[in-house]
Amino acid sequence: MPKHILSGLNYLAAITLRREGYLQKDIAKWLGMDRSTVSHYINGRNISLDSIETAETISKFCPHDFLQMTNVLTKDTGKTRIIVKTLMKRKFNPKIKDSCIGCGLCVDTCLMKAAELNNLKAQIDSNWCCGCRMCESRCPTNSIEILEV
Amino acid sequence: MSVELVIYPELCHGCGNCVVACPVNASKSTEIAGGKGPQEDVGQILMVEDGAIKIKELKDCNNCATCIKACPVNAIAMEDVE
Amino acid sequence: MVTNIKATEDKNVSIKREAEEKRELCFKDEKCIGCGICEQICPLEAIELGPVGAIVRGEVDASKISIDENKCVLCGMCSVVCPVEALDLIIDGKQIKEIEEYPKLIRSITPEYDYCVYCGACDTVCPQDAIKVMRQLPERAKLVTGEIEVDKDKCISCGMCEDMCPAEAIYLVKNIPTSSNFEIASDIVVDKDKCVYCGICKRICPEDAIKVVCKVCPYGEYEIEEAEVKGDLILNEDLCVNCGWCQETCPKDVFVVEKPFEGELIIDQEACQGCKTCIEVCPCNVLSFPKPSEPGEIADKLYKDEKYCIYCGACQNVCPVSAIEVKRSGMNITPIKSKAWQKAVESLKETLHKPKTKAESGGK
Repeated sequence: MPKHILSGLNYLAAITLRREGYLQKDIAKWLGMDRSTVSHYINGRNISLDSIETAETISKFCPHDFLQMTNVLTKDTGKTRIIVKTLMKRKFNPKIKDSCIGCGLCVDTCLMKAAELNNLKAQIDSNWCCGCRMCESRCPTNSIEILEV
Repeated sequence: MSVELVIYPELCHGCGNCVVACPVNASKSTEIAGGKGPQEDVGQILMVEDGAIKIKELKDCNNCATCIKACPVNAIAMEDVE
Repeated sequence: MVTNIKATEDKNVSIKREAEEKRELCFKDEKCIGCGICEQICPLEAIELGPVGAIVRGEVDASKISIDENKCVLCGMCSVVCPVEALDLIIDGKQIKEIEEYPKLIRSITPEYDYCVYCGACDTVCPQDAIKVMRQLPERAKLVTGEIEVDKDKCISCGMCEDMCPAEAIYLVKNIPTSSNFEIASDIVVDKDKCVYCGICKRICPEDAIKVVCKVCPYGEYEIEEAEVKGDLILNEDLCVNCGWCQETCPKDVFVVEKPFEGELIIDQEACQGCKTCIEVCPCNVLSFPKPSEPGEIADKLYKDEKYCIYCGACQNVCPVSAIEVKRSGMNITPIKSKAWQKAVESLKETLHKPKTKAESGGK
């Protein structure tokens, strides 16, 4: 079953990325699939509807659960990042307060690799932030606030 | 690391050197500062009673180890209490 | 979840976190002066200063600070403000003092080696044994010129020349008299490497057996080569605490020292009970017990020579009767962009915290 859910997520991510105008070969590379599989998905030779439905439900979970579940299924943070970024419909605006001491725990925690340090202060890329709030909960000085746009 | 003053009364000769050497004791009583053993309780850390040393008020001790330096018979030590 | 791994070796500690970045905080106890600045700045209260007085006096065998690996987030503030680099944060193999973004405490010792005449004053005064002076002096014989001759026939082996010679350059080879040989000495020897041709032997000799001529006196020093003193001034910057003793003492202005902090050291002479803990803890030999300059004078209990103070605060932390206050008014540090870091560094100027007595910390 987990394999089928992962196929569902890959399917959804592949068709979304194609719709956004990306090339089949790039999509195959990012998601770690054969180009032929990507082609099957895009040409409507679907996997089971159940898998797609389950994947759709997962993508609508709260961002933290969606991210963690995807990561457990892919076992690869690179693929997790692409799937979550592609399928996450909600937008988040991370704010860093001046109390940030630049310890880098958020950088180490963020599975989306959205966080980095700049002049001893964290910086979170809103393009990649999936709203999981793991950084917010790990921050030792409560300096991160993730607001939904 | 949390250390605390520990005494070994069985080794003590009751000389009272530690009582007058202790800077906290001395700051609490001019008698002690002048080198005289205190007769009454002034909240001192160390006091000689019945010929041997006793810890009276450990909470003010700041672990400076001056009493240990003053003791001629190793009857005082500072030991790990964790 | 990313967690810290602690490793202890002897009294040294390392705390590591490996994920997106590799961070490691290394504490070296032998460098630590027990000042407690790290404890003061730590934003997570992860550092606790040990019983430094008892440790320095050899009564407790422990590390001067302890770091709670469950609280430490490896931010590096302690490492930046440690005045002796006992704490070092390393990110991806690079010490943060090498990373531009991190502020650096400015402290330095710059010796002008060419000015040094190897007098050795700095070696004597340095409280941390960070300076060694080694010198090679020229041979004494090359700095004098003259002639000396002993008429052994006239010599009665009285030994007065040997007793008087200030350079130990003339001596009798003793003989134990027997019935067959009653001489008390078998020979008289002049060591020309030691003789300075001063002529005392000639003047003391009761038999006029010694002739000495110093050529410098009548003819001047033209025959003598210039005295050349060679040497090495060896500075171990790892041990230096920038106290400035060498700078003050050096007669040739070899050293320029920059101190990390500015401030004021205040002693409450009334409160001081003369326990000596501060004197033993001070890394800069600033404090001492004064001696009265004349009989009957009542001297202060504790004397300070504040020009050598680096305002580290170690003395204040160990004083059991709160008789010392260290007011830090200035920090010699490179500019800081981060607001949180500015605030943390600025907080070191506030009155140093008094060490909690057991009563305040709940009497544990």
